Amino acid sequence: MPERPVAVRARSRGRPPRSPLEEFEQVYLRNVDVLMGYFARRCHDPHTVADLTSETFVQAMDGFARFDPRRGSDRAWLFGIAAHVFARHCEQSAGGRDAAARLGGHRTLGMDEIEELAERIDAEREGAALMRRCARLPAVERAAIELVDLDGLSPKEAAQALGVSGVAFRKRLSRARSRLRKEHESND
Amino acid sequence: MTKFTDHLWSDLAREHGPALAQADRPEPARAPLLRRPRVLAGSTLGLAGVGTALALTLGASSTPAFAVTTSGDGSVLVTINQTTALPQANAKLTAMGIHEQITIYMASGAAAVSGPVTCTPAPGVSNLPGPPVKVLVGTNGTQVINSGNTGAGTWHLGACHLTGDSGSGNTGNTGPG
Repeated sequence: MPERPVAVRARSRGRPPRSPLEEFEQVYLRNVDVLMGYFARRCHDPHTVADLTSETFVQAMDGFARFDPRRGSDRAWLFGIAAHVFARHCEQSAGGRDAAARLGGHRTLGMDEIEELAERIDAEREGAALMRRCARLPAVERAAIELVDLDGLSPKEAAQALGVSGVAFRKRLSRARSRLRKEHESND
Repeated sequence: MTKFTDHLWSDLAREHGPALAQADRPEPARAPLLRRPRVLAGSTLGLAGVGTALALTLGASSTPAFAVTTSGDGSVLVTINQTTALPQANAKLTAMGIHEQITIYMASGAAAVSGPVTCTPAPGVSNLPGPPVKVLVGTNGTQVINSGNTGAGTWHLGACHLTGDSGSGNTGNTGPG
C-alpha cells in the first residue's frame, strides 16, 4: 500500500490550520459525511455516490483559493457545488453518457468501500422516503426541507447554498413544513 | 472516517494538494463549528467544553440506529445509537410535525447520571412551539466506541440543544466559481 501524503498523516484537528491544505482538510472532515448523505439519497449505486462526492470535493479544492469564509459557511458553499454537480450528472445521464467516465474516471473502489457506501445509501432510506413525500412540493420548498431537516444546514446556510435571501428562504421552509404537517395529520 | 472518505482525502491531497498549498486565501481560516456549533450532520458531533469536531464512526450494531417515541405526557424521546442517524432522527421529528431540530454535544467519559438528557433551547433561541424533547445516547447515556474506530473511547451526551426555524440569510460563495 503506498504511503499516505504527509498532509493526511498530520491531521490538524484541534488547532488552527497552518496552510490552505490543512484548512481545506478541516472543511473536508466537517462536511464529507453529510455530502455523501446528500448524494446517497439521490443515487442507489455506490459508485455514483462515490463519483459525485469525489467530484464535489475536486471542484471545491480547485476553487478553495477563491472561497471567502466571511461571505458564508463552507457547508453552504459546498452544497452549492454539490447541487451543480448533481444537476450536471442528471443532464449527462439523460444524455446517455456515463457519469463515471465524464467525471474523469475516479479510482476503482474496493469491496469494503462499496459496502460502506451501500450501507450509507441504506441509512438514508428514511431521508429518501421523506423526500419522496415531498415530491409534490415545489422544488424550492423541497430543497429547503432537505437542506435544513436532512442535511443539517442552518436556514442561513441553506439560503446561501440556494442563493436566495434569508427572508425568502424562511418563508419557503415554513410553507413546506406546514404542508408536510398537514399531510402527516391527514394520514393519521 | 470511513475507508472511502479516508482514501478520497488521500487522493485529493495527493492530486490537488500541491496546487492548493501554494494558494493565497482571503483570510486566515475561521472555523464556523467552533463559533456556532450547530452540529447536525452525519457523524460529526460537537464536544462540549472543548469546541472541537470529532467524527465518531461507530461499529455495526444490531440495534436500530435511532428511535423517536412519544411519551404519555407529550414529551418526545429520541434514542440515538449511531451518530450517523442524527439527520434521520431530525427528519423523523419533521415528519411528525415537530418544528424542532436537535444538536447534540458529546463529552468524554461516562455519563454521571444514566438516562436521557433533556434538551434546552440553543443560545438565542426562544419560543419553541414543540413538546419537550429528551435524547438518550446508547442504552443508558454512555457510549463506548471500540478501539480501531475514529473517536475510540467512552463518551456521553454533554448537552442537547433545540433549534427551530431561525437565522437570517445573506449571499455569496454560491456555486463553484
